[in-house]
Parts: sequence; C-alpha cells; structure tokens
Amino acid sequence: MADVSHNAGPVERVVELHLPSRLGYEKVAMDAAASLARRMGFSADRVDALRTALAEAITNAIEHGNAHDAQMRVLVMLTVRPSELVVSVADQGRKPLMPAHLSPPPTIEESFTRGDKGGWGIWLIRELMDEVEFTTAPSGGNQVRMVIHLEKQS
Amino acid sequence: MYDPPVSSSIDLSIPSELGYERVVREAVASFAHRLGFATERVEDLKTAVSEACLNAIEHGNAQTPGLRVDVTCVWDGSGLTVCVQDQGLRPYSGHVTPGIEQRLRGDAPPRGLGLYLITQLVDACGFKLSSNGGNVLYMCMRRCPRA
Repeated sequence: MADVSHNAGPVERVVELHLPSRLGYEKVAMDAAASLARRMGFSADRVDALRTALAEAITNAIEHGNAHDAQMRVLVMLTVRPSELVVSVADQGRKPLMPAHLSPPPTIEESFTRGDKGGWGIWLIRELMDEVEFTTAPSGGNQVRMVIHLEKQS
Repeated sequence: MYDPPVSSSIDLSIPSELGYERVVREAVASFAHRLGFATERVEDLKTAVSEACLNAIEHGNAQTPGLRVDVTCVWDGSGLTVCVQDQGLRPYSGHVTPGIEQRLRGDAPPRGLGLYLITQLVDACGFKLSSNGGNVLYMCMRRCPRA
C-alpha cells in the first residue's frame, strides 16, 4: 500500500481500498463508501446513487481494464473533503478505455435487439455523480474520478 | 450460496482518526459475508475489528493527526485473518486485563477492555512484529459450515 502518497491537507482525509479483480468484490467497496458517505451526512438516496455508480466503475475495472485477471487489483480511493466526496477507481489497465465507450449509450430499442445488454455503465455513472472524469492512473491503468457534492440540508 | 475462491485478500488504509474505524468495520463485514461466514460470526468480527482499529488510533498512533492505520484481510480457503497495523508511536504490551468483576463493581475504569473483548470474539489473536516498527494485531476466524 505504499504506492499512494498521503499528503492530505488538514481538511482532506483519504481512505484506500485494494480489491481483487473478481466480480462480487465491488460490494466491499460499496459498503465502505456508503458508511463514509452516511457519516459525512449524505441523504439515503445520494448514498444509493454513490453505491450504484461505484459498482459500475469497479465492474468496468474488473471486466474491461483488468480483463478478469484475478491477480490484478482494483484501487478505490475515497477522499473526504468538507463539501464533497471524491471517489476514484483505478485498474491496472491491460485494456485501455476506448473513446467509443465514452460516447452516448445504446438506445433502448437497440438493446432489445442486441445480444449484449451492457454498455450503460458510463452513462449511468454520469447521470448519478456530480462530476465524472476519465484519466490514466499513476500505475498506468484506467482511472475514473467521480465527485458527489454534499448539499446543505435546508 | 456464493462459493468463495481458494484464497483472496483485500487491503484498506484509513486516516488515524476516530470514526474511520466504521469504514473498516463495514468493508470487513462485507468481505466476510461474501466468504460465507454466518451473520453472528460477522457481527463478532465487526466488533473485534472496531476495537482493534480504536486501539491503533488511540494507543499505537497516540491520536496523532496525519498518521494511518492499515488493515489487511486474507482468506486462505478456511479462515480469515485480519491484521490491523498502526505506526507504532507507542508500543503495546499486548497485556490483556481480565478484571471484568472489578469493573462491574466500579473499582476500575470501564474502558480498557478492547483486547479482552477481541480475545473472546475471534478464534485466535495476538501481536506480530512489523518491519517498520508499528504494532500489528492479528485476528483469525475460522469459517464454520452454515447450518
């Protein structure tokens, strides 16, 4: 766990989680992130949105970036700031993300006729999170950085 | 039921601050649940892991801002070992004070039962040496077949 620096300022706190590239383990990160988000004061529906977006991002990392190689890891970083939670998911990038994957999702009509029902993950992440950015991780893999803003309770 | 792999592991790192132990507790519970541990055992593990993290934050890292607590969870096919490591500002003796009766009578402070509680909740536990001088508390739990 020495690959990430911890130069967090006084108002930033970082939780790191390393998972095996195996479907099902996204649940571990979802539960950890939900616990953190609840503690920060996010409402139940925002916590659910975060869980869903995180599940999609980790599933992409396992299936695409790490190509189901169980020896590879997925790194999830949760950065707590006073007004937002930044969640980044990085894989070890055997397969870089193709620009076509970032384009609009298939239409419902197309999905009825296609054998492959996937392809909605990135669209869903963009719908659920306040900011989404696709970059390259320091390790060279794919990284998705998602931000969810803490709205003040009226 | 989910069939766990032969071996598997997760690693976590949290700021050494009270409250973050809850994030570890949820992650470890989720991992243990996936491995097929019974709910009751998962609850025991959650309590033990929380106590271990609190010890690391309060004692090992002496509540110093900027430090970290690292947690590794390794499943070997029949048991789960959780190691909680601090940065060793203060060494622990690992001494377990069993004076529960004294505490109930009010002759001793109610705090300080964390290690005792951990010994009662997991199948094996103890301290290990770490290469960087931190305290490492390991806790093992075997998985009993589900009824």
